[in-house]
Amino acid sequence: MQIKQKIFLQFGICFIFFGLIGILINNLTINLIRTGLGFNFNWLFKPASFALAEHPLPYTSSDSYAWALFIGWLNSLKVIASSLVFATFLGTLIGFARTGKNSLLGLISAGYITIIRQTPLLLQLMFWYFVGFLGLKDNMFIQIKNIFNISNQGIEFSGLTFSSEFLALLLGLSIFTSAYIAEVIRGGILSVSRGQWEAFRSLGLSERKGLIRIIIPQALPAIIPGLTSQYLNLAKNSTLAIAVGYSDIYAISDTIINQTGRAIECFILLLVSFLLLNLLITYTMEIINRIILRSQNYS
Amino acid sequence: MFKINISSTIVLFKYLRKSLFLNLFNTIISLLMIVLLSAAFFYTFEWLIFKANWKVVISNLPLYAFGSFPPNEQWRPATWIISLLSLSILTLYGPEWKWLRKNLLIVWIGTIPLGLYLLYGGLGLSPIMSRHWGGLTLTILLTVCSSLLSLPFGIVLALCRQSSLPLIQKLTSIYIDVMRAIPLIAVLFFGQLLIPLFLPVEIEIDRVWRAIFAFTLFVSAYIAEDIRGGLQSIPKTQIEAANSLGLNQYQIIQFILIPQALRIALPALTNQSIGLFQNTSLMAILGLVELLGIGRSILANPEFIGQYIEVYVWLACVYWMVCTIIAVLARHLEQRMTINQANF
Repeated sequence: MQIKQKIFLQFGICFIFFGLIGILINNLTINLIRTGLGFNFNWLFKPASFALAEHPLPYTSSDSYAWALFIGWLNSLKVIASSLVFATFLGTLIGFARTGKNSLLGLISAGYITIIRQTPLLLQLMFWYFVGFLGLKDNMFIQIKNIFNISNQGIEFSGLTFSSEFLALLLGLSIFTSAYIAEVIRGGILSVSRGQWEAFRSLGLSERKGLIRIIIPQALPAIIPGLTSQYLNLAKNSTLAIAVGYSDIYAISDTIINQTGRAIECFILLLVSFLLLNLLITYTMEIINRIILRSQNYS
Repeated sequence: MFKINISSTIVLFKYLRKSLFLNLFNTIISLLMIVLLSAAFFYTFEWLIFKANWKVVISNLPLYAFGSFPPNEQWRPATWIISLLSLSILTLYGPEWKWLRKNLLIVWIGTIPLGLYLLYGGLGLSPIMSRHWGGLTLTILLTVCSSLLSLPFGIVLALCRQSSLPLIQKLTSIYIDVMRAIPLIAVLFFGQLLIPLFLPVEIEIDRVWRAIFAFTLFVSAYIAEDIRGGLQSIPKTQIEAANSLGLNQYQIIQFILIPQALRIALPALTNQSIGLFQNTSLMAILGLVELLGIGRSILANPEFIGQYIEVYVWLACVYWMVCTIIAVLARHLEQRMTINQANF
């Protein structure tokens, strides 16, 4: 195509595109005027007047909407970070069990992966919450000298309490993500050529040493990108917290929209907070990736 | 007539020894697993047969399948689901007649208007509003319509992202990256609550189509990335060859790029459609009574209160089965494509 033609085509498409957006925004303003809401963020500083069961920082219902949203973001971060650790641990174990020599273990982990991957996460979360935690006895289910309690209120461990909502979400997200992480790990291990296994065996290295020194370092560059995308999925899936009543960022936005009707503003805030979360995860993984590559002298 | 093949028994023993009891550590793990597995199987079967009360499932089967569709019209969604099932069986195990195989794709696409006609009614059938749709029928309808709409949209997005026009490439990149960064439930929420705000007052779209639209927006961004992966793995020499044959740009896209990219991206696309099928369950939170939503409303019925395990296990089985059917169909398609490629 000629350059002139190209420029013309691009401008034409952009004209149509922005024209369409203009029409939509025009509709939006008409609708917002009609409902008498308008578009502003002043409501953020009014008192929220709803209670939150879970808040890592001090919060009362007279605090502002902005503070409530921030608490929600912290709650999200809390559940994402903890399930990330558990899911990685569990996923690595299952991934190795799936690739290992023990065929019974391999069979069990393959079954685990298919069952978990072929049922919806929301169903699993509801299962863990309504069956796993609310199904426990009212009073203490397991009690060990007031240090470790499990009941349908959650788990209490020497002064630290974890609500059953948080735990159900943690369990559900960890188990769901671990099945995907296991497949990533398996793919990484299989990406190391068979020759490497034969080579370290013929050099007389033990299986464990060979795995740690030879196979895993070579599998890591293939594993890290897959792991990153699973972590991003985990972060996005954590918004299903609303189904079990855990007050994460999405659940709090939902409450605020029901109270104030500020759907557009809340949606924009949600968008921004998720872009921030994604950047956080991507950059952390990028740094980890760079450290690994540097330690292997690839770069 | 009872002849034990000795050599094969020895092979089996050797295999078991090698795979289960290679050393002390493996032996301990294997024995532990055998004990745990048998205990798990025992308790599961005991629960399934003696303890579980399956009345909550059996007496509500029409609800799970059709939602609150009027009882004397339920043959309509039933016809649709049965035709889908028989078509799947025909595709997988049907005879290898050439005319059948050629037209199968058209029949598959034809099931969508058939389903919509049967559900909506009109033209001789009594019309039924979409708020009466529900259960597995609605889940399948959401999946099928969204995936069919998002495939062409995803292809266009992928082509635009690969385009040599910088402005278009930037715009699509922003769209795809933003869509992939936000959670699905936020997009669906946008679809349910905000789409009416962006439309003129007199236009109204019903909830089911708003959900399908939101799913399409979301899934097409993911499909676009999968297809881009396929496009990038096509060697540049193919385009050069097509150019030297005198094909124009659109012919290259139509005959060279898209068929190959789709074939390469097929496993990823299968995963997307299975994911989409599972994710339709999110609409249960947002007010549609699809399969999971029906489960929730049945559990809210005082007659069946507290029977969570039975309902969830049953729903998990249904989801698992449909996912497996999709996966098997996709694998069949994949094999067929490789056969076709080999025939070239």
